Amino acid sequence: MNGKKTISWYLFNGVKFREFPILLYILIMVLFFSFTTPGFWAVRNFENLSRQIAVVGIVSTGMTLVVLTGGIDLSVGSILAFSISIGGRGIPLGRPMWIIYPVILLLGTLLGFINGVLITRIAVPALIITLGTMNIFRGITMVITRGIYITPIPPEYTLIGRGYLPFFFLLIVILLFMFVTLRTRLGRNIYAIGGGEQASLYSGVPVVKYKVVVYTLSGFLSAFSGLILVGRSGFIQPQAGVGYEMNAIAAVVIGGTSIFGGSGSVLGTFFGATLMGLILTGLTMQAVDPYWQGLVTGILVVLAISLDSLRQIRGRGQLISKR
Amino acid sequence: MKNILTSQTKIIIALIVIDAVIMVFLTLLSPTFLTYGNIVSLLTRMSELGVLAVAVTLTFISGGFDLSIGAVMAFSGMIAGYSTLLGLPLFFSILFALLGGAVIGLANALLVVELRLQPFVVTLATMTMVRSIVYGFMRGKTITAFPDSLLSLGDKYVLGIPLLFIILVLCAILAFMLLKKTILGRYIFALGGNERTAFLSGVPVRTMKYFVYVLSGLLSALAGLLLVIRIRAAIPDAGLNAPLEVITAVVIGGTSIKGGKGSLLGSLLGVFAMFLLINGFSLLGLNPFWSVIILGTVLIVVVGQEGIMVPFIALLHRKVRS
Repeated sequence: MNGKKTISWYLFNGVKFREFPILLYILIMVLFFSFTTPGFWAVRNFENLSRQIAVVGIVSTGMTLVVLTGGIDLSVGSILAFSISIGGRGIPLGRPMWIIYPVILLLGTLLGFINGVLITRIAVPALIITLGTMNIFRGITMVITRGIYITPIPPEYTLIGRGYLPFFFLLIVILLFMFVTLRTRLGRNIYAIGGGEQASLYSGVPVVKYKVVVYTLSGFLSAFSGLILVGRSGFIQPQAGVGYEMNAIAAVVIGGTSIFGGSGSVLGTFFGATLMGLILTGLTMQAVDPYWQGLVTGILVVLAISLDSLRQIRGRGQLISKR
Repeated sequence: MKNILTSQTKIIIALIVIDAVIMVFLTLLSPTFLTYGNIVSLLTRMSELGVLAVAVTLTFISGGFDLSIGAVMAFSGMIAGYSTLLGLPLFFSILFALLGGAVIGLANALLVVELRLQPFVVTLATMTMVRSIVYGFMRGKTITAFPDSLLSLGDKYVLGIPLLFIILVLCAILAFMLLKKTILGRYIFALGGNERTAFLSGVPVRTMKYFVYVLSGLLSALAGLLLVIRIRAAIPDAGLNAPLEVITAVVIGGTSIKGGKGSLLGSLLGVFAMFLLINGFSLLGLNPFWSVIILGTVLIVVVGQEGIMVPFIALLHRKVRS
């Protein structure tokens, strides 16, 4: 690759074969549902599907960055609910949209930053810290809102959730973070930290700084997907985003990102989110009770991490090429 | 004499003092706190989370982690409920409920041991799956068709102490004997201390992991049954907050999440302190979500104790040197 950088070089250099089996699974699912489910190819269904993928996909993008560094963020759903519920309290007061939106995004960023600071200051697994903050953020949301919905909201807020606009935003986020992970210093260091935190620290990577950045980005993206969720649903509920952490982790690990950190890609997560969205929407169309979605998500997660672990066990003794 | 006071005993003494202080405080604030009725209801409600705390303490000491405890509680309640609805005798519904918990524990162990997966992620996934199964079958409804012979256990008292609390005490004593008096207990401590060293010294690491996770599932199922007896119904939302509550209580009690260290007495005192707080909140008429906020904060602060202290100690050293 000397000199000339084509668009495909930017997009796919660094994307290895790990992502392609998922494309195959997506194809199989599409074929399966198009034969078994009447109305699968309806335009309305695809619009629905694209919106569903968008909300989870944006959260998953942030989660990918976190998992790549070897961490985990259970608080994404609570951050989403906190940002839109607290930031949205200005809506009934008649505050304009250009204040509400930045406030919501800022709140998400702030909570993500708090996560990052706690995780880097306290030598405890990120899972424990975010298990704590997940409940703290949700608790504060419930205490402040007293569980009351904000509805109705003015029509300009639903603009962002109309048609294929959510999917468009997802694509922008995915492309942006593909660029960030593959072509910037931040991205390189994220992979380095996930590959070996001690080693990165000794080779001069400012580990603390980058970890804080990663959790902050995750918080920001959670709040952003909250905006889309509000636009889609047309109301703000304090229970929003319950269980999103599991969906996001599922999309990330199905997309081939190793839960041990250091290997994987944002593009893979996009495929993972798409596959999850396809399966869950397909099941709903087959009139399967939505209560069973957790079971499907769990099975997919266990399958994905088992495959990853088997790959690592088999690869032991050889040089495991990261990325 | 100083080395008799290990950090473990210090934590337990501190917890007893904290419990006493909260009790005095609540007695002053609310006239209904120090009544026989309130104390008994406190002890009864403590029993199921206490049993869970025993399970979590064992898993933590072995260096493992189990988030699925709450979901298993709901699962065992559901199995007991459906077995009763099918007309099975009480003995079998209890047996099946306990077996159900053990099977989930076995599944956790299989994934952790055979596929070398991280217990965090595995039990997060099984938690989601089991909860989804419970919701899928029960569809948000409760099952109340339990025989009186089971439910009447909740009204039994021995010397004025509720029977459910006595079951918890029995569980705790058995687990204590297991940890302190048997070779299995020593294996569990060794496993949590350093898995590699334990393996090289001949500890059957794989078997012990199976043992711990299955036991954790079994105890969680028992906790689910205790909840059924106490509230006289199986509910799909049983144990929804259990991971946060129990892990916080266990960690307060001085059990290390890194394994190899911990005490059952500390965990139970931790559960008691937590219940005093929750009870206090409801007596004072505060929003119940305050307790969630406080538990989350306590979890982070207590787990991070060392981490928070490290910069201070470093600062002190720097000052001494300069």
